[in-house]
Amino acid sequence: MDSKHIRNFCIIAHIDHGKSTLADRLLEHTETVSRREMKEQLLDDMELERARGITIKARAVVMKYRYQGQIFELNLIDTPGHVDFHYEVSRSLACCEGAVLLIDAAQGVEAQSVANAYAALENDLTIIPVMNKIDLLNARPEEVTEEMEHSLGVERDDVLRVSAKAGIGIKDLLDATIERISPPVGDPNTPLQAMVFDSHYDEFRGAITYIRIMNGKVQKGQKIKFLRAGTTHEVIDMGQFAPQKRPCDELQAGQVGYLVCNIKSIDDVNIGDTVSNPQNEAEPLTGYQEPQRMVYCGLYPSDGQDFSELRDALEKLSINDPSFDFEPETSDALGFGFRCGFLGLLHMEIVQQRLEQESDVDLVQTAPNVTYRVTKTNGDSLEIHRPQEVPDAGEIEEFFQPVVRVNLIQPTEFIGPVMKLCQDRRGTYKATEYLSPTRAMLIYELPLAEVIYDLHDKLKSATRGYGTMNYEVLGYFPADLVRLDILVNGNRVDALSVICDRIDSDRRGRAVAKKLKIEIDRHMFEVAVQAAIGTRVIARETVPALRKNVTAKCYGGDITRKRKLWAKQREGKKRMKSIGQVDIPQKAFMAVLDTGQESK
Amino acid sequence: MEFGDKDNSMPPRAAYVHVPFCRHRCGYCNFTLVAGRDDLINSYLKAVEIELASHQEPHEVTTLFFGGGTPTHLSSDQLKRLFQSVYRWFLPSVDSEISMEANPADITKEKVALLQDWGVTRVSLGAQSFAEDKLALLERDHSAKDVRRALEITRERIPQVSLDLIFGVPGETRPVWQRDLESAVALKPDHISTYGLTFEPGTKYYRQLQRGDLASLGEEVEREFYLAAIDQLTAAGFEHYEVSNFAQPERRCRHNQVYWRGQEYFAVGPGAARHIDGVRSTNYRSTTTYLNRVLSGKSPVAEQERLDREARARERLVLGLRMLEGIDCHAFKRATAFDVEALAGEALVKFRQLGLLTKVADRIRLTRQGLLVSDSLWPDLIG
Repeated sequence: MDSKHIRNFCIIAHIDHGKSTLADRLLEHTETVSRREMKEQLLDDMELERARGITIKARAVVMKYRYQGQIFELNLIDTPGHVDFHYEVSRSLACCEGAVLLIDAAQGVEAQSVANAYAALENDLTIIPVMNKIDLLNARPEEVTEEMEHSLGVERDDVLRVSAKAGIGIKDLLDATIERISPPVGDPNTPLQAMVFDSHYDEFRGAITYIRIMNGKVQKGQKIKFLRAGTTHEVIDMGQFAPQKRPCDELQAGQVGYLVCNIKSIDDVNIGDTVSNPQNEAEPLTGYQEPQRMVYCGLYPSDGQDFSELRDALEKLSINDPSFDFEPETSDALGFGFRCGFLGLLHMEIVQQRLEQESDVDLVQTAPNVTYRVTKTNGDSLEIHRPQEVPDAGEIEEFFQPVVRVNLIQPTEFIGPVMKLCQDRRGTYKATEYLSPTRAMLIYELPLAEVIYDLHDKLKSATRGYGTMNYEVLGYFPADLVRLDILVNGNRVDALSVICDRIDSDRRGRAVAKKLKIEIDRHMFEVAVQAAIGTRVIARETVPALRKNVTAKCYGGDITRKRKLWAKQREGKKRMKSIGQVDIPQKAFMAVLDTGQESK
Repeated sequence: MEFGDKDNSMPPRAAYVHVPFCRHRCGYCNFTLVAGRDDLINSYLKAVEIELASHQEPHEVTTLFFGGGTPTHLSSDQLKRLFQSVYRWFLPSVDSEISMEANPADITKEKVALLQDWGVTRVSLGAQSFAEDKLALLERDHSAKDVRRALEITRERIPQVSLDLIFGVPGETRPVWQRDLESAVALKPDHISTYGLTFEPGTKYYRQLQRGDLASLGEEVEREFYLAAIDQLTAAGFEHYEVSNFAQPERRCRHNQVYWRGQEYFAVGPGAARHIDGVRSTNYRSTTTYLNRVLSGKSPVAEQERLDREARARERLVLGLRMLEGIDCHAFKRATAFDVEALAGEALVKFRQLGLLTKVADRIRLTRQGLLVSDSLWPDLIG
């Protein structure tokens, strides 16, 4: 295949703007898949992704399309649709020459659309602006076109109008990919240089590596080398996805496909790495990064016995998700468990849901925290993944936290509430951009910690669901942070400690104590819940002792019923965590997320 | 022989007979009974005969308890027929205790004479209160005067009389409850049971509570009333021997102690529960279902379970601790083959530290504080 008859592109879109449906239509129209074989949303082949409407792992599909009598090879590279997978998105984009920018004709431009469009522009991709769901009754094509002009810098006349669901405008779109997107450049006669943009684990064949050949060619049976990892393998099998595996013997510059190299662990395949020929190495491609885990939380089996089951489950998950990391830790309160690192909050939720779906382990999750950095008075620097690691106040020279730039897009009527939301979270206002007379984008800098706690939920409720947001990490900045501890009857519950801004600590402490008072059942004795910074108690709540709890009648007919009731209560208590003699329900371990915003 | 450490092959020595009839259903009541269905009484008597006949042979019993419902709601002829059938299969031993629950409004000289003739040794009167407005709220069909009269008549012929009292009725004040206790004590019954009112699902009271038409008095007041009962009755010479039960010396209810000591017992009638040969089983609660099944030759048993040895031991532990004298560690071991400390040592130590249990001379029992929150102890001991 001559590279001038190849087009590599992706579809970038906000969640729910119809990316998967559009992908289905393209596969159908090019007869890559018949309608009959078509599962709904073919590219999202994981149940969970379908449930959430988010494509988590990228996939690549090759389509053959006849245009003006010539057969073209179109490679559609699917990209994850969420902020947490920013790096994976960037690697997918680096494999394309063009991007279909899909905007919902009713919902208009959203934060994610802007972020992805900018990312595509940074990668010098040709953008094909497409307005989807054009057949919707509440479509507002004129306004949305205007928003696209303003915020994405596209030409009004370039916008294609499509309905993926109804199959409107699909041919025009396919033609546009050929007409507007440039063919890949690259020389098949130079040393092999290919980008690893994804991988997945196959139980029988090991790691499957997804590549885009930038230069040179790769052949079945040859040796290849991962330039970053420094490992050498033999290509056992290779091919393209159509969308099932279609083996071939050679791929060359411009093409997209997969390699099977008998690699036992997916950890050995790094997204962003460069594949080359060990005898004739090319330059490594630029832009490689280790996955950055920004959010950590503790996961514990609620029954200590399930520790090894949990470990097996985590291992199984990490096989297909190298960006997820875990290591054993112990907590006084929760016993043996794991500290787990995630790309972001959504990534954390997905991993947790998968754990629950795929294993029987009942989980206790501690409040998530971001990764902090500390420089100590003795000059050492530390990376803090959990509150317990914070040194004593006297040893801290400077405390740093990650700060992100957040774009928030909402109808103009909600600007006030959204600004208040950001200001309450110590956001620094940067700019307002009007996408259209009725919609605006606010740009703030915010501590990541504030963003992961509840910003997204709060944004949704402040904007009646219309607000969308996106963030990118700017870096680490000094902040006045403290570790807030929670004591239950005088015992510090390590799993309840949080790191927060000193200014917020009083409010947070009060809110957490109040929440715990509600979550902790009354005991046979008084339970004191205290929030403290160091030795200074900043809030106290008391769970009063039970005063009377006694069954009056227990005669012949009552015994079985009562015994069953008590046994059931016993089971409930077993699932709680016992600190001192206080039983703390699992829900309480998330109580520290209560920012106290409402109680202000 | 505290835990009746008898050979398990021995049949029970106690029996319960449930009589599910009442004139009407009181607002707080969720017991197995039918009100205003006297037309079913003859079928019931027939069914009880059939159920009794399922016992392979007659058994001698030392305690027999007729509960309800209201056994005394039956006419003299019906009661006679009931006694006849029951005694054919359950033969009261010499000096046995034969108890019957009675509604004060049903008590007449003739009926008491009938009970005496048929060997009843103990009558438990559902007095509930001596305050007229409290009785009205409880929807009782008798007055304080009826209670006094019934007690006097009963006492002439029946050796032991017990009074049931209810406390914690919406709107009740402490003086009202204290006067109830005083009135009860003044009548010098042999035994008093006091029950804190509960709002059970399915009752009229429960619905009214849900709708907000009734308000419970709250934990603090109920605690105060319960403590008042304990203090007033013990001061009057009653022994507080079980959570809700008080007796003059030698006047405990022997039958109920069978339950609390984990011993076994026969049972007949709708909703009746039995414990035989290590198996606990319960009859259908619906009177009509019970009748239909028994009269068509089917088993009246709705559910049954056989507990393993450990579960039985734990059950004994909890039931035994509901008695104020507690459990004797040696007797417990003889009866269950389990060492109580091995079975529940961790929880026992915790509760002792919290001052909810004490252990004196190998006897473990609830403290006053433990008694008040005893339901919070049982989950840790039961499994």
